[in-house]
Amino acid sequence: MAQISIDGVTKRYGATEVLKRLDLSVAEGEFMVLLGPSGCGKTTLLRMIAGLETPSTGRIMIGGTDVTLTPPAKRDVGMVFQSYALYPHMTVRENIALGLKLRGVTPTEIASRIERVAALVQIAPYLERKPKALSGGQRQRVALARVIAREPSVSLMDEPLSNIDAQLRTVMRAELLRIHRKTGMTTIYVTHDQEEAMGLGDRITVMNFGHVEQIGTPDEIYAHPANAFVARFIGAPRMNLIRLAHRPGANAIEAAGIRAPVPATLGTLPPDLFLGFRGEEARPGAAHDGEAMIEGVVDVVEHLGAQIEVHLRLDDGEEAVFRRPRGETIWREGERASLAIPAAHLHLFNAETGAALRA
Amino acid sequence: MTKHKLLSLGHGLFLGFIALIIIFPFYWMIASSLKTENQIFQLPPVWLFKPHFASYAAAIVNDNILRALLNSLIVTVGAVALGIAVGAPAAYGLARYTFRGSSQIQFWYVTNWMLIPVVVLIPFYLLAANLRMIDNPIVLILIYQTFVVPVVVWLLVDQFRAVPIALEEAALLDGMSKFGIFLRITLPLTVPGITVAAILAGIFAWNDLLYAFILTPGTDARTAPTVMMSYLGGYIIPWGRVMASAVMITGPVVVGGIAINKYIARGLTLGAVK
Ligand SMILES: Nc1ncnc2c1ncn2[C@@H]1O[C@H](COP(=O)(O)OP(=O)(O)O)[C@@H](O)[C@H]1O
Ligand SMILES: [Mg+2]
Repeated sequence: MAQISIDGVTKRYGATEVLKRLDLSVAEGEFMVLLGPSGCGKTTLLRMIAGLETPSTGRIMIGGTDVTLTPPAKRDVGMVFQSYALYPHMTVRENIALGLKLRGVTPTEIASRIERVAALVQIAPYLERKPKALSGGQRQRVALARVIAREPSVSLMDEPLSNIDAQLRTVMRAELLRIHRKTGMTTIYVTHDQEEAMGLGDRITVMNFGHVEQIGTPDEIYAHPANAFVARFIGAPRMNLIRLAHRPGANAIEAAGIRAPVPATLGTLPPDLFLGFRGEEARPGAAHDGEAMIEGVVDVVEHLGAQIEVHLRLDDGEEAVFRRPRGETIWREGERASLAIPAAHLHLFNAETGAALRA
Repeated sequence: MTKHKLLSLGHGLFLGFIALIIIFPFYWMIASSLKTENQIFQLPPVWLFKPHFASYAAAIVNDNILRALLNSLIVTVGAVALGIAVGAPAAYGLARYTFRGSSQIQFWYVTNWMLIPVVVLIPFYLLAANLRMIDNPIVLILIYQTFVVPVVVWLLVDQFRAVPIALEEAALLDGMSKFGIFLRITLPLTVPGITVAAILAGIFAWNDLLYAFILTPGTDARTAPTVMMSYLGGYIIPWGRVMASAVMITGPVVVGGIAINKYIARGLTLGAVK
């Protein structure tokens, strides 16, 4: 049974539809990441699960109970706010204790929980300080501690790492995972950073313009993007999407500088296609049987340190960008070069609808 | 001497001149209160003299100025306490909720401040007289709400808006009631702003003469400014007692002014909550 299930939830602010009949279910103990560009409705969805907003239509269930209209206090949901929202006039200890007191936890139990949580997120030395006297990373931990101590059945996190510097962010990411493994809390984590999403999520929900583009494990989403949006959004460097006009009927794609086999199981191809491949899955040189071939002129070679980034200009003007190890000398600006891509790593998308073409 | 130095010298002289204009009356008031009646009017003024407290003794014994100060204090504290009890929740409502007419209500609150006192005074006097409440400090406390509530609302709406809404939402998730959030989260974070509003409104109440002179004229009920007024009635003005009383009346105002000076200088933007 799903711990959280969101059934056909729509949210409108006046005439703008921020979420469009959205369905999502999160399993008990799962770490679900909501990933999408800024403004796609992630925060709105999270706030509806918390009870801070009410859906215009649809239903939200937590632990099998319909909570669509339940006030936040009665939902047993904890939330880490993007701004942390620590009470500035209370010490760290009081910040953590408040929610426990209000829920009638006994003073001795509160003390022991604070001790346990403080050890878990490593804030024991700061318990008597006010939030003002803490660094960004420490505040983040306190915000986390405040939720963990309450032991809610669901914890929600809205870009909790976006306000701390890049170095600490990597550390905190590992911390979050460690804490999640220890507590086993069902977690919904919002981010617009695909790398963070890939690193943290048991599963990822990719959102765009208020709807779900794809739900899957990081691996699935990376290897089998359901559409061109997900393909572009996931992975750094980005997947190459090369637009081609296809002659209907042929069982191979042939365009200027491109030749790709097409499995017969795909049926008739739409006339307007994207051919997608990731640079790291291509290799230089001529294509063997069952491989796709891409050919063009090396436009620019950028040196990035351990790697070089090659921009290959195809004959019809499209560009492919990929990285190769430093010191590979076959890439000379202005000269022709070719890439081979194994068929298993080729992606085809309908350029009109964006949908992936699957056998 | 460079041009820059000349400029800053001019600057300094100008500021000194302004300071003199402001400070001199205070000096004159304090000095006169400590002189004998003869010394007050000597020309050229006596700069060095032995301080002499007879004027204070007279003001206290003959004019019962201490009683009047106590009346002022009761009325001021009462008016400010009531004004905050009424105005703070009103300001919170206006800060956190938008509803039909909310901006008009806010405008109405604040413009009440600009009401011409006499317009309120006459009907209020008749009302108080009919209720046999002339000389009752409660009447003053109530009528002072016409300016205490506007000051409180005007200052606190912005104060409450400056408290991040996420704090209140976090408290909501922690299981706190809406009223609990107002009382235990938002209010404590706006204490500096409330202090400024209280002192500002308190100064207005403390200084009021018009309402007090009409509504509480009796010897037992009158407030300190009314006592000052009473000195002007006779053939001879007792300047020593006038000055001694003035020192005792303005003292608290100066102290209050200094206390909030730091905040006023910051343009009343105390919202440093984050
Ligand atoms: N209270 C609101 N009133 C009107 N529009 C809103 C409100 N809250 C959010 N929106 C709009 O909804 C969209 C989604 O916002 P949000 O959920 O914050 O996106 P995200 O968290 O993915 O960046 C945005 O276009 C935003 O402008
Ligand atoms: Mg957001």
